[in-house]
Amino acid sequence: MSKKFSPIPVTVISGFLGAGKTTLLNRILNGDHGRKIAVMVNDFGEINIDSQLIVSAEQSMVNLSNGCICCTVESDLIEQLHKLINLRERPEYILIETSGVSDPSKVVNTLCYPQFRQQLTVDAVVAIIDADNFSSLDGDRRKLAMDQLSVADIVVINKTDLATTRQVESFRQQWLYPYARVFETQFADIPVELLLGTELFETNHSPSKSGHQCNANCDHNHNQQFATYSWESDQPLSLSKLRHALKQLPENLYRAKGFVYLAESPKHRCKVHLVGSRVEIEKEERWQQMPKNQLVMIGWNNLDAAHLNQALENCYS
Amino acid sequence: MDPGRPWAEAVAIKDGRFIAVGGRAEMDALRDEHTREVDLQGRFAMPGLYDMHTHPDLSLAPGYADYLDVGLESPTPDDIAKAILDYAESHPGDGWIYGSYFVHFTFRQAEIEPGCEWLDTVMPDRPVAILDRSWGSMMVNSKALALANITADTPDPGNGFIQRDSITGEATGILIDGAYAMIHAAMPPTPQHALKRAYREGVQYQSSRGVVATKYVHVCEHRLEALKSIDDAGEMTLRVEAAISWQDDIFPVKRRWELLSGERHYYRSARLNANAVKFHFDGVHETRSSYLSSPWPGEEKWRGGLNLTPEHITDMVVDLDRRGIRVISHCTGDGASDLFLDAVAEARRVNGGGVRHQCAHSTLLLEENLARFKELNVTAEFSPAVWYPSDFAYARTQAGEEKMKTLYNFKGVLDAGGVAVMGTDWPVSNINPWIGFETMVTRKNPWGDYSEPFYGEPISLEQAIKVMTINGAWSMGIEHKAGSIEVGKSADLIVLDRNLFELEPQGNLHNTRVDITVMEGEIVWDRLDQFEQAELEAVWKSDQVPTFYERMED
Repeated sequence: MSKKFSPIPVTVISGFLGAGKTTLLNRILNGDHGRKIAVMVNDFGEINIDSQLIVSAEQSMVNLSNGCICCTVESDLIEQLHKLINLRERPEYILIETSGVSDPSKVVNTLCYPQFRQQLTVDAVVAIIDADNFSSLDGDRRKLAMDQLSVADIVVINKTDLATTRQVESFRQQWLYPYARVFETQFADIPVELLLGTELFETNHSPSKSGHQCNANCDHNHNQQFATYSWESDQPLSLSKLRHALKQLPENLYRAKGFVYLAESPKHRCKVHLVGSRVEIEKEERWQQMPKNQLVMIGWNNLDAAHLNQALENCYS
Repeated sequence: MDPGRPWAEAVAIKDGRFIAVGGRAEMDALRDEHTREVDLQGRFAMPGLYDMHTHPDLSLAPGYADYLDVGLESPTPDDIAKAILDYAESHPGDGWIYGSYFVHFTFRQAEIEPGCEWLDTVMPDRPVAILDRSWGSMMVNSKALALANITADTPDPGNGFIQRDSITGEATGILIDGAYAMIHAAMPPTPQHALKRAYREGVQYQSSRGVVATKYVHVCEHRLEALKSIDDAGEMTLRVEAAISWQDDIFPVKRRWELLSGERHYYRSARLNANAVKFHFDGVHETRSSYLSSPWPGEEKWRGGLNLTPEHITDMVVDLDRRGIRVISHCTGDGASDLFLDAVAEARRVNGGGVRHQCAHSTLLLEENLARFKELNVTAEFSPAVWYPSDFAYARTQAGEEKMKTLYNFKGVLDAGGVAVMGTDWPVSNINPWIGFETMVTRKNPWGDYSEPFYGEPISLEQAIKVMTINGAWSMGIEHKAGSIEVGKSADLIVLDRNLFELEPQGNLHNTRVDITVMEGEIVWDRLDQFEQAELEAVWKSDQVPTFYERMED
């Protein structure tokens, strides 16, 4: 399939006001990452774009010299998405910020409407949580918090420097569900690769933090980086066992991609796309060569290779 | 009011009609041994009111349908399972279990995937459909999927989708947004008892607020059946024009045509007719889907959306006009009403005179179209009654400052010689017609919540009285026999607790109390129980009428 027609991956970022979304989006918009990212925000007011970067601006859209676009959702998400899709230079990636008062599940549902199926694909749904403020939520905000978490693939706990260990622990106990994928950070310092997954799997790209290539002169902790695990096998897997195993992966394993050989669909190759706790397994074309399983998994810091290997071998049908 | 005689001291009524209007002395000549005299003690009386667009069924019936209500803020899957089983026990049989709600979050916490697999373990034999708390999805069991004919091959609707297993394509039992309609279509209609109760309470309330005629603009055969049963019981205390809905949500296309092509006459009585059809031509301002004559602010091309092509609505108006059916067309954008007026112009060209059609909502109208309402005999119906400052009203004022100046342009239509009427469009605005009445004269907030007036120009009290009375009768095609206090017309009048001409309208008209409502010479509402146990005892008693909104009584 030509690049022109491949669907644009979309990441949805939810979180209450003050959780750190704006810090994150500002960093992406002002960053030198070489990617054409369209960021949809509720209101330009909260976004702080370096005026040197602005190439052109109209009422609801600002073009930046680093290739990024920032636009407001205004009242009609569907219309604004159509606009972005039809731009002469299509964005490579779309990030949608949902404000503290709108339900991210509605945004995710809209992205899955038939009219967008060939155009857009949901890459990741990320909830940014301020553990400090989360314990005191009530009423409608409490309901919205549940919506944010229930639709999230990855839960980012931000500002853990301000929140006490006990607050983070109590957040985890009250609010997290089994097998949530969690990333703890400060100052919304989230590796862009976590949000925009495609990069991690490109062959010439060695996983690094925020597009930085590590070398011997680096003064940061090399523990803070992505780790990869690859698995291959030629025995058929059981779909239900595989789904179950992928759900139960460790909380620092954020993405997986590859192809599997399923007993339920032996003649067709099936594609696996895992982001956080969301697993998608889709039937593709017929096998051109001998069927086999090929998975690449990406986590933060260390991945327990023996554990992962065991978990996958348990899926043999 | 008779323009030749704007004020009268007394009226005489016989067989439901006014036989004399004038001074007391003139009445004495008509008196015989059966005459009953009612002394209004100087109170203000006027013709009854006309609410030309409202929906008691949509407002009340779902709440009366006895659907499942889990009744907890954040129910767990166990809570929901128990609620379903309890409901099944108290509602035995094989009927649908439909209700609200479940919460995706508690399913994640319990490590359960919501969908038919789980729901089948709770209730395999009866169809079950449960909405989620944020109304974005519906969980159904396999039985419900089967009854709705949803399989791996069923296409998705445009405004939603069927969640599917990515390998087998089978529905998982989670339906998103527009996909609910497939379940609603498979379910039995809203129960008759709920529809009947909803309309009955609507009629009671409207009579108690002086409404003598109304239009319920979204009906199907079940709704007509409910209205007919109220009429048959002698409780239809106002005239109802019911407009058959052109939307898919309450019944399928084929049934619409059956109703329109003759079945509607079955429901016809002195007080009830279904000789109208309601189209949803464009969208709403809140979501920028109203169809404007120019792009929405900040857009290059987007002008809003039409649910029927202009060609389609033209053919429909021409055809329905020929059949003597009134077309009531939802037109909130000035582009939609422009096309609707074009469609009526074509109907006039093809059919000649014809039916008085109705441009519903008329939120924005083009200046150049104001005179066409008179030329084409089209009613400009303004609804919902939000032409005063409020959070709700301001939420729909985004079409640009220039256009906003003409929002709900009663004055423009009236000055151009056209007929303007109003509708409460309950539940969009509240069903008390007096709030819209006051604010079309003031354009101000009745409770003083906002100091500035709303966009648009007010009309005079005299004009407003016509909008609320005789204009409504014109839009129903009965102005020759109702809508004013004139000899020979239906004796419909209301007695108020205040004189509308002796008060400052702002803050003092919306809370007018209607002491007596007379419909065809019969007292149907008696607020002060004046006629209790007497020959003229009212149909509705003051303690029977529900209060839907506390505030509008203040």
